[in-house]
This record gives sequence, structure tokens and C-alpha cells, in this order.
Amino acid sequence: MSDERTRFANVVLPHLGDAYALARWLARNDSDAEDIVQEACLSAFRGIAGFGNINARGWVLSIVRNTAYTWLKRHRDGKVVAVENVEEVEHARADTSGDWASAPASPEAALIERADAARLEAAIAELPIEFRETLVLREVEGLDYRAIAEITGVPIGTVMSRLARARRRLMAQLGKDAT
Amino acid sequence: MTPSSNNASQESADDPFLLVHAYCDGELDPANALALERRMADDPRLAAERDRILALRSAMGRIKSHAVAPPALRAKVERAVGMRRAAVRPTWSALAASVVLAAAISVGATWSLLAPGGAVADEVVGNHIRALMATQPYDIASSDQHTVKPWFNGRIPVSPRVVDLASDGFPLVGGRIDVIARTPVPSLVYRARKHLISVTAMQGGGVPSPARTADGYHVIAWSAGGVSYWAVSDVGLDELQKFVKLFQAAPTSE
Repeated sequence: MSDERTRFANVVLPHLGDAYALARWLARNDSDAEDIVQEACLSAFRGIAGFGNINARGWVLSIVRNTAYTWLKRHRDGKVVAVENVEEVEHARADTSGDWASAPASPEAALIERADAARLEAAIAELPIEFRETLVLREVEGLDYRAIAEITGVPIGTVMSRLARARRRLMAQLGKDAT
Repeated sequence: MTPSSNNASQESADDPFLLVHAYCDGELDPANALALERRMADDPRLAAERDRILALRSAMGRIKSHAVAPPALRAKVERAVGMRRAAVRPTWSALAASVVLAAAISVGATWSLLAPGGAVADEVVGNHIRALMATQPYDIASSDQHTVKPWFNGRIPVSPRVVDLASDGFPLVGGRIDVIARTPVPSLVYRARKHLISVTAMQGGGVPSPARTADGYHVIAWSAGGVSYWAVSDVGLDELQKFVKLFQAAPTSE
């Protein structure tokens, strides 16, 4: 095998499962996720010479994330919230749930813990993509705030508030489903 | 930065509920974590938020079943970049047969086959990568050192040192048999957050070489009691060094 291919096999392929998981959550569709991963892998292969030997997983995930955005924009234009508007969206939505400290009737932890997997999966799929990707990078891929901030291109404070809001919505949703 | 994202950071500094999320994500420094723990003890609303976050995490844990890429996708990607189909990992029975054979023909001389440091490091990294790409990174899955060690006993001449580092954040997840210079050797698999660390043990000391890095994987080698150890992972080098120190210092299970 050529050097590029060996390098690709060592750097990218071990993270194919994580890449697929991220793409699947972003696209919410298995076959689109496969197309995105394949496209991302080709980009990674072309750019393998530029990989700096640090954090292969983060490098691969950020390529997958950017490829997913381009792909979704191309194939499902309109359904992806433009990144520039998301902060407004976040604030508009946050306002409706009021102040954190007086957050209305949040469900019991035990109720959330028992949540049906299919319902939870559906609730995650309904999150706006910026919330969803932040949540998935944290809870599924296990990245810390700094890594998530680098991949999504937002300040760490925004990562923290998106994560909290994503979880809040899921909690509220799971509480609603149960009643 | 837009004014609204400034608001987001501003608000995070003041809002104790946001801090609870950061606390559950391990993002607070010790002083702030301690202060928040006190506040949670006094304020049941904050404690309830913490419980909800942990409950949600545990519920999400049950749906994380997609970390394995479909085999067809792997094949498509390999074709797309012009690689041949990767070699299939040998089945356990074939591996077992080769272990027996190798042990039979090389009694006593087994370890002299070992390649010098650099080549061993390459093979250790190669074994680790192959393990990451397989359906499972180990041949036996167990977090119990008293299960993993005897499993090796039945398969290779020398069973490795197995230590319990779960309380230090490096739980044991299993063991496998790797092959280095045509010799079957035991490898232990530990978890470091979402990363895996493989520790391969080989008879014969005196090979330690400086830590090295290849394709994003760090390798640290050391020897103790006539055995050389090779730890490999894509965690940060400082975290791997911490792991190695703990591994060296931990009491051995019998």
C-alpha cells in the first residue's frame, strides 16, 4: 500500500464507527449517514498529509461534521438552521421556558432514567441540529467542551449553554411523554 | 463574536443551573466543583438538576448502539481510497491452534525471536489498530482481573501481570492475544474515557526506549521483573504517562 493509504488506515479507519455514529445523528438517517461518512473519508484521504499527528479522532470527527453540514445543505436545504441564526433561535426558545431557577415542573430523575429508548432517540432527533451535535459530541463521542468548541467553531460558553438547553428539552419532552 | 454569544458566556458564569451541567461534564476546576457541591447540598433544586442530568446520561447510554460502522460501509470506504479489503481477523479457533503450535516448537526459545525496540513498537501499534477495527478490541471481555488472568493461563505459556486501575479512571475491559514476531503475547485492554489503552507484555526485559508517537498513537515501553511492557493508545501523552505510572505502582493480583 502507498504511504497515504497506510496512513489513512492508521489514522482514519479506527474511528470509522465514531464517524458513522456522529453522521447518523446529524443526518437522522442510516443511508445518508453512510454517504456522508464516505464523502468525509475521501476528504480525509485527500488531506491526510495535513494531519498533524495530534488527536486523530477529533480530526476525523470535525471532517465528518463539516461534511455533514455541506451535505445536508446540498440535499435538504432549508431544514438546516443557518449557523448565524442559531444564537437567536436559542435565545428565543430559552425565553419561553423562563429563568433557569424557576424552571417549571421538571420531571423526576427516576422518570428520565426509565425513558423508553425509542422515545428518547426520537426526542434527540427533534433537537435543532446545533443542540443535537453538541449533545452527541458530548454524550455519545465523550468529547470535552474544548474539543467540542474546536469542532463546532463556537466559544466554550456556547458549548455549555447549548448542552444545557439540549438536555433541558429532552428532560421536558420525556416528562411530557410520560403523562 | 456576536453580542448574543457574549450573553451566553456571561450567563453561564452566573447561572448555577448551567454550572451543574458543567459539573456533571467534569469541566469545573476543583475549587469551583467543591463550591458547587456545597450549593447542591443546600439547594434541592440544584441537586435535582444534577440527578436529572445523570439519569439522562444513563438513559442515553442504552441507545448508544451505533459505534460500529456497517461492514459494507468500511468496504466502500476502502474501495474509494483504493485500498484492498483489509485482512480478516483470524477466528479464535485458528488463533488458538497457532498459539499451541508456536508454543510447541519454540519452548524456551520463544522470546528470542522478538524484534528490536522500534520494530516491536510498530507491531504493538499495528496490533492496537487492528483491535480497534475489529468488532471487539479484545478476545475476552471482562472488567475482573480474576477472570482475565486465568483466561491467559490456559492459552499462552506466561500469564501477564493484571492490575485493577478502575478507581483511577482506567477500568479493565478485557484481554486478547496479539502476535509479535510470530510469537503470541498477552495484551490487556483498559478504557481511558472513550479511548482504549492496550498493554502488551513480553518475556525479556531491557528494551525500554523513549516514548514514541506514530500516526497519532503514543507508545510507552518499560520493563520490570524480566518482562517488558508496551502501552499504546491515542489518549494524550500525559494521560498515557499517568496510566503507566499507576500500572507500575499498582499491586499485582494473584
